[in-house]
Amino acid sequence: MPGRGWEWPVPEPVLVARGLSYRYPDGDADALRGIDLSLEPGSFTVVAGESGSGKSTLLRAACGLVPHFHGGDVEGELSVGGLDVRERGPGDLAAVCGTVLQEPETQVVMGGVRAEIALALEHAGESATAVARAVEEVALMLGIAQLLDRRVETLSGGELQRVALAAALAGSPSLLVLDEPTSQLDPVAGDELVWLLRRLNEEWGVAVLLAEHRLERCLPAADRVVVMEHGAVVRDDAPAGFLDWAARERPALATPAARLFAGAGLKPLPVTVREARDRLRAGGLLPKAAAGDGADSSSTPNGRLSTRLRRRPPAALALRGVWHEIPDGPAILRGIDLRIAPGERVALMGRNGAGKSTLLRHAKGLIEPTRGRIERGGEIALLLQNPGDYLVHERVEQELGPEGIAAAGLTGRERANPRDLSSGERQRLALEIVLGGATPAVVCLDEPTRGMDRSHKDSLCAHLSDLAGGGAAVLVATHDTELAAELADRIVLLGQGTVIADGPTADVLAGGRHFTTDVARVLGGAGGALTPEQGARLLERELVA
Amino acid sequence: MRIVPSYRPGASALHAARAGAGIAFCGSFALVSTLYDNPLVLAGALLGVCAAAAGAGVIAELKRAAWFAVPLAVLIVVVNALVNRAGDTVIFRGGTLFGHRIDVTLEAVQYGGMSALRILVLVSAFALYSATIDPDDVLRLLRRFSYRSALTVSLATRLVPVLQRDAQRISEAARCRPEPPRRSAVTVAAITRALDRAVDVAASLEVRGYAGARRPRRQRVAWSRHDLRVGAAALALGSLAVAGKLAGLGTVDPYPIVEVAAGAPELVLAGLLMLGGAAPFVGARARLGVARA
Repeated sequence: MPGRGWEWPVPEPVLVARGLSYRYPDGDADALRGIDLSLEPGSFTVVAGESGSGKSTLLRAACGLVPHFHGGDVEGELSVGGLDVRERGPGDLAAVCGTVLQEPETQVVMGGVRAEIALALEHAGESATAVARAVEEVALMLGIAQLLDRRVETLSGGELQRVALAAALAGSPSLLVLDEPTSQLDPVAGDELVWLLRRLNEEWGVAVLLAEHRLERCLPAADRVVVMEHGAVVRDDAPAGFLDWAARERPALATPAARLFAGAGLKPLPVTVREARDRLRAGGLLPKAAAGDGADSSSTPNGRLSTRLRRRPPAALALRGVWHEIPDGPAILRGIDLRIAPGERVALMGRNGAGKSTLLRHAKGLIEPTRGRIERGGEIALLLQNPGDYLVHERVEQELGPEGIAAAGLTGRERANPRDLSSGERQRLALEIVLGGATPAVVCLDEPTRGMDRSHKDSLCAHLSDLAGGGAAVLVATHDTELAAELADRIVLLGQGTVIADGPTADVLAGGRHFTTDVARVLGGAGGALTPEQGARLLERELVA
Repeated sequence: MRIVPSYRPGASALHAARAGAGIAFCGSFALVSTLYDNPLVLAGALLGVCAAAAGAGVIAELKRAAWFAVPLAVLIVVVNALVNRAGDTVIFRGGTLFGHRIDVTLEAVQYGGMSALRILVLVSAFALYSATIDPDDVLRLLRRFSYRSALTVSLATRLVPVLQRDAQRISEAARCRPEPPRRSAVTVAAITRALDRAVDVAASLEVRGYAGARRPRRQRVAWSRHDLRVGAAALALGSLAVAGKLAGLGTVDPYPIVEVAAGAPELVLAGLLMLGGAAPFVGARARLGVARA
């Protein structure tokens, strides 16, 4: 306790931006506009905003890639760890700022984990003993000591991101910037990474600046949220204040639990699932009904599903005893039986390696089953994980005809290079390419919402629903339970190459622990409510009662 | 199918030895292939590489390299037979093609076979190196001399499988289109993706302090028994190869009639090369506890 007349010294901010503006060399507009920002040591700040809002550019400025790597014009001031970013490049800033980027595969440089973690320290000219000690300590701290002697090509995406994090932390930086580090990971690996960041922040006092789309994942760890739009900071607040603002002004940024409360007219909005549950319990509003009991199916087509199943129309896609066995490896699919009716919307879920992507490739006919048979009711359109893989020409008009371009909502952008399109636009274009102007029997999509913001997700859902309305079956392999809840009639859960659950969405998701939505977690699966809208209606009934 | 062998951690003396010793050991077989064209000596060296690969547990990697090396060896035999008209023993008269007489001589075929054997030894020695020497250790070894070049080689090795996966994905995506695009467009897209990847890696290197990289401090590491075994074998093999050459062993005179020195000294040399390949592994069990990936 400080004595009278004694004052704690005010720590120097780890990052200070004053009137920071930046334009890329070939940019038409500023990517950053008049940013004023100050980050205190030991703070945990989340940068929120839609795709293209300037989040990544801000983070790249913090680590010096902007302007030293990308070029372009900078105005205003930016200092990190006391170093002026305009004067000092990423090599100098590496000592004070660790950086983790989006793509796990290309940010690991060396062949072995130990060498990768040691690289930055060796660049700094540290002695061999200092390097060895730092590598051991950071590996123990992040729980990756068992990976030290592994080759990087044998690591999973989550393990690679941890190694990248270890490499960024090895030099004991005071600031850690992370640009959507979970966007390429499955939910379990993503959650683990965020919890690891929270531990680092609490135990080591490392200031964290994290850009992320799935805010429900990282808000519980954050003490501040900075919202960006068109390159400018439009909101800078604590998580609770941010949610209150977002629920009113930018619903697409609000978390499912906050949207649930806002929809039911409850205040204040919760930051965490636990907070939401505690408040409902304290107010006597936590519904007691079991999963599926009194499910609000007005916006889910479960009723329609059962009707359809009774009629038993010809299958859009049927897999009968399908096996996929690697000649010198394990069986990826083990006797899959699956029947999908026209117009049905199915979400294919399961952990990484469960066989989801392999099943979609079989559906399309990219690979042949080693045993079993596949019947297709017509053309199968398949959109793989990375829409950019479909874009092989220099101009949009070379990829698609005028009708397709109009269907993708890209009229007026015919002469644009597909690589210059936003992620949402690229996905729409790729989807129209695989549809080929016709309605196929089945539209298959593999992880279509990876790294996608909520507004793009909503428009994708609407588009897929339209296709289903036109008679196409929709089969989506996804980890995104919120997407599954919004879109699907039915969930097929894969585990180790077999179907371990297959049923209506509310039944499968509301009763799950991992494969469930935040709203179902808050409400304990009551009423089969999965989406904020369903949950809010349920709470309103409780309030009336 | 992957034909380029790649390093995986293993529990053998060669895996455990320092990079310098391992490079010298594999390099000694490459040295034999450059100094000699005597089939007896080359066969001894090839068996030596195979013995070393068996000792290191990387025979499968050698077989993989053979998918590339054997067709190349056959091609060398064929081309030499068709192009080289030296030699007295004509075994095939093929007439004239574009004003060039196609006569195949037994000597040209035999000498083509010897050249092919050299290539097989060289490729096998490189495959042994690729499969057993950690590229990160090689980078560490070379960076005192030319850090950036060494890092480029290391990165290229690391990125090959990533780019292969990218190309495969782009090719699969092309098959998903109702009208698959031209092969040239797909190839250009794959190359463009490779450039994008290169830019991403360059950005990662920058934030790891590459621009400010300093010359690393010299570090002295005590020689382990594996370093000593492999280093001694490399020294013995290299000395044997040079001494044999200086002593005029293993001479070959291919034309007009093939004359190959195949006496007792050549047999001894070949036998020693074979034994030299196995020497580091005899009685050496590197209990490294390194998980085989």
